[in-house]
Amino acid sequence: MTVVPAQQTGGAGGTSGLYDVIELILDRGLVIDAFVRVSLVGIEILKIDVRVVVASVDTYLRFAEACNRLDLEAGPRKDPGLPDLVGEVTESGARGKSKGALSGAAETISDAFKQARDDGRGEEEPARPRARRSSSRSRKEEQE
Amino acid sequence: MTTYIYGIAAATHPALPEGMGGIGEPERKVRVVRHGKLAAIVSDSPDDLRPKRRDLLAHQSVLDEAGAGGAVLPMRFGSLAQDDEAVVAVLAELADHYEERLNALEGKAEYNVKAAHDEQAVLHQVLAENPELRAMVEANRAAGGGSYEQKLHLGESVTAAVRAREESDSVEVRRALEPCAEAVSVGPEGTGWLANVSFLVRRDAAAGFVAAVEELRKDQPHLELTVHGPLPPYSFVDLGPAEPAEDAASVR
Repeated sequence: MTVVPAQQTGGAGGTSGLYDVIELILDRGLVIDAFVRVSLVGIEILKIDVRVVVASVDTYLRFAEACNRLDLEAGPRKDPGLPDLVGEVTESGARGKSKGALSGAAETISDAFKQARDDGRGEEEPARPRARRSSSRSRKEEQE
Repeated sequence: MTTYIYGIAAATHPALPEGMGGIGEPERKVRVVRHGKLAAIVSDSPDDLRPKRRDLLAHQSVLDEAGAGGAVLPMRFGSLAQDDEAVVAVLAELADHYEERLNALEGKAEYNVKAAHDEQAVLHQVLAENPELRAMVEANRAAGGGSYEQKLHLGESVTAAVRAREESDSVEVRRALEPCAEAVSVGPEGTGWLANVSFLVRRDAAAGFVAAVEELRKDQPHLELTVHGPLPPYSFVDLGPAEPAEDAASVR
């Protein structure tokens, strides 16, 4: 049985929701001294303590490049279809898109969870995630 | 056989997910261990339980299901008791505390908000607000991109400006959403976001909270906001007046 560190699945489409709340599941919630906790070896990298913008030469150069490419005359929300802005699809641009798509579902989110659960049980009742049955996640492990 | 604990609810909780599939492969059936006014949502645990994606999802799903019917105190993933009797002992020992917490969390859910900068937009903003930075950019451009030192200098200055912006925006996110929440819990910093804040929101006020997020999105278009909720109140299980002062580390 292979143990896939959870963060490796984090970037892929529907599972990014799990990645976003994984620190809640792993690091918050009730802890009771009398109980033992399973080892979390293998996913400790998730306990990220890096500052948000890491001050490094790489960051400096990246920002300098980004500024050089920036169209200073345009507003911040310039139409992304205009050619001089889209010389390359930046990482942040791609990330922005997926976040936008995700955040649209603010009300019921954990969309990714529901999707993941739906994945696990095939086509049955995709619109009613709460009506799941006990045999639901049968196929998920193939992805792990 | 060890017992895995998902969460604690009131014994009167109307819809505990008994029989639902839980962690493990094959899925272990969810059971309910009751004592007095409390009920623990548990299942057997596989011997080799590891924090795999499927198990994390199962933990979350069981709590999600239980939380839909009433208040639940979610356990942190991976809590194991020797057996059901050990669970009963814990329920008995800390009954008052758990009952108080369940009352406090009744009808409320956690919404986790993460904010990040749209890089293009925030660069525009810091340059627009800072003529010196702008001059540096112009100078570098005029010099065909600038020397390595010039780039480094510009990048360092811009990074500092963006950092400052992250801090003020982090405060702003909290300030904008706090009025719609019963409690706030600030999560750890991490790569990829400038704010990671959980809000405890009354379920009947969730629409207002979501509207406030939308409002913030509109007001601060350079912020990318990701909202997850309603979630079991992971970040709010330990708050409250009745939190026992006992602490293993300080006692010994």
